Amino acid sequence: MNCTLSGAIRNVKNKGSKDYLPKPLWESKLRNWNNGKCVFPLLSTTHARLSGKVKKGNHYYQSHLHLREAFHNRKTRIYHQKTRESGEYLPNRRHQMAASPAPPPPSLPYTNKPLIKTATALFHSSFHRQRFLSRNRARIQCEQSGFENGSHHHHQQQQQLQWTVDCVAGSDPIHIILKPPAATASPMPMNSGLKSSKKVCLFYAAEMEALAKRIAAQSDAIELRSINWRKFEDGFPNLSIPNAHGIRGEHVAFLASFSSPGVIFEQLSISYALPKLFISSFTLVLPFFPTGTSERMEDEGDIATAFTLARFLSNIPISRGGPTSVVIYDIHALQISIAFPDDGAWKRFHKQLQHFPVIICAKVREGDQRIVRIKEGDPKGRHVVIVDDLVQSGGTLIECQKVLAKHGAKKVSAYVTHGVFPKRSWERFTHDTGGHPDSGLTFFWITDSCPLTVKEVKNKAPFEVLSLASSIAATLQI
Amino acid sequence: MEMEKPQKKQVLLFYCMEAQDLARKIAAQSDHIQLQSINWRSFDDGFPNLFINNAQDIRGHHVSFLASFSSPAVIFEQLSVIFALPRLFVASFTLVLPFFPTGSFERMEEEGDVATAFTMARILSNIPISRGGPTSLVIYDIHALQERFYFGDNVLPCFETGIPLLKQRLHQLADSDNIVIAFPDDGAWKRFHKQLDHFPMVVCAKVREGDKRIVRLKEGNPTGYHVVIVDDLVQSGGTLIECQKVLAAHGATKVSAYVTHAVFPKNSWERFVHKNGDDSNKAFAYFWITDSCSPTVKNIENKAPFEVLSLAGSIADALQI
Repeated sequence: MNCTLSGAIRNVKNKGSKDYLPKPLWESKLRNWNNGKCVFPLLSTTHARLSGKVKKGNHYYQSHLHLREAFHNRKTRIYHQKTRESGEYLPNRRHQMAASPAPPPPSLPYTNKPLIKTATALFHSSFHRQRFLSRNRARIQCEQSGFENGSHHHHQQQQQLQWTVDCVAGSDPIHIILKPPAATASPMPMNSGLKSSKKVCLFYAAEMEALAKRIAAQSDAIELRSINWRKFEDGFPNLSIPNAHGIRGEHVAFLASFSSPGVIFEQLSISYALPKLFISSFTLVLPFFPTGTSERMEDEGDIATAFTLARFLSNIPISRGGPTSVVIYDIHALQISIAFPDDGAWKRFHKQLQHFPVIICAKVREGDQRIVRIKEGDPKGRHVVIVDDLVQSGGTLIECQKVLAKHGAKKVSAYVTHGVFPKRSWERFTHDTGGHPDSGLTFFWITDSCPLTVKEVKNKAPFEVLSLASSIAATLQI
Repeated sequence: MEMEKPQKKQVLLFYCMEAQDLARKIAAQSDHIQLQSINWRSFDDGFPNLFINNAQDIRGHHVSFLASFSSPAVIFEQLSVIFALPRLFVASFTLVLPFFPTGSFERMEEEGDVATAFTMARILSNIPISRGGPTSLVIYDIHALQERFYFGDNVLPCFETGIPLLKQRLHQLADSDNIVIAFPDDGAWKRFHKQLDHFPMVVCAKVREGDKRIVRLKEGNPTGYHVVIVDDLVQSGGTLIECQKVLAAHGATKVSAYVTHAVFPKNSWERFVHKNGDDSNKAFAYFWITDSCSPTVKNIENKAPFEVLSLAGSIADALQI
């Protein structure tokens, strides 16, 4: 057996990491992993097909099998990526044991370690910080440098949310949620003061340039690098990495975006080539893992294209730092057969947002139709925020919005991590300036995981873009 | 004492949309090959929504997939099918990829050059194994000779060639005893000379004269012959045209060409087409290609001087391996 942690993980000192995972899971990992350090942040939900179908040796999927079992019993918690700066886990995270003991560890080497992060950490961490900080009597001011559109929104929410928001440039309405300072540190500068930040060379796909710049702005330790993206006459990519010698011995990351099948091959070529250039470690950051979103394996003969993509990623060559780390945000999990999409959303996120009152919707069948009903909770007089991992046509969201308005919600907003919006479906979402929650949303928050959408909606109310930049910058330090 | 040839096996042939015509021709070659269908649709977000019809019925059968990677955009959907088929309890799986793209322009000259051919080979090497063992991978006239070493052990590459089709066609010509084979460069000579060694040969080479690169005759004498330029693929056609000029200048009575893969990006085949009533453009008497690059072939099938030599028979035989 030859399991090795990626070099990146070896660098992390896990204080109190034992509180991080339920014991059986953690111990089984100890058996596998050389130096016993366990940062493995696991996601709340797995791609059902992936966990069911992948070869046993692949650790990523095996670990998700554990979770999937546990998850069905609702005993698992959602884990957040531990960040070095915060130095501790977010409070009130007491873990229950997984109901079933963990299956035996995999016996074959695995190649890549996906870090499935959740972007609702952006929300969650902000809320927690507010509590944490109020306990320590520290406050973060809300900076609204040069940002016109959203400023009044944020002032309204000041009392409750205490976000720290800054913008990349005066005219670019993208919100970057900054990390809070550690308890003893003074109010933080843009670059969180990491003790031993590791220098990372960040390559990126062409469509991700804006997000890559935001990430690099987060930290001096992250340096942007370029790639020559050209094409031969026959349409196949003609790629080269300038100054390839210069990255030897460095930690390298690639920010990818598989927005359509046509762009996959060139980015995959880069992902396969970089690890072999004598680099110290390789991290693939893929904020949005596509393809899983509309598929259901119902019959033999259904083809899970998400599985195809996962195979590609699993075969990224190993580098000197060990297996590649793969970072994905809010991977869309398809429940196998029983859960409805909205229950799915509840399962994914409720534990991260549990200090808020919760409303759960459900689709029920009435005759031939499926309509959305409120299953639990009461929206009367409140500002309701609908939370989901992604949005496609937006049908579900709109139905939910109408039902909530009908039941007396004062304002309705929405948050999705991934604004897929095929065929410009974002156009159906209009802005409610006050008093008409049935016809519009007050806010519609998305992250910048899908850059093509961001370009279209960033200046259009009710859309507001929350950047993953600081979260990614922190992950790159692992 | 002859070895008994194993019984012919029944093969179920799936295919990608762009290679439909070739698939039909292959099935027509033999009763043992049966066409199967796949539902190729897309979700709204552009990602493929695929379904293999009667997946249960293919259990225990020998299955094959005819792929065509004419551009990066179509690769993903075909690969999804290729990764899924071997796991449906089939008796064996063969991937027929007549034209292996991406290798043709690339030279790894410096560290930092990204060999996309290698990426492609890596992806294909990771096709899951089926009950029949590793996937067989049938490729015609692979461009870079070293690419054969890119493949891992989980696939069994089977490197075929279209040259026998050319030989057959040449025998049918009226002046078949007056033919000389010309190679546009040393690479083509290395690839093909052994299969064509009963013909007299001419080898060209590109030499640098000052700033320019021009084609020169390196060995052989084309005077008075019908010269057939042989190469594995054609892109813009520039090399072929230069060769033709040099050969004509040295006295070749007729010049024709054969390439296995007619890539012709951006319709570059147009410069070869005989225009009606215009004698000056009949530079090439014949231009033989195979149907490995389906999208192009559809465009030029019936335009002189192009003639398509179909790989169908050769592929049908390869499926029996």
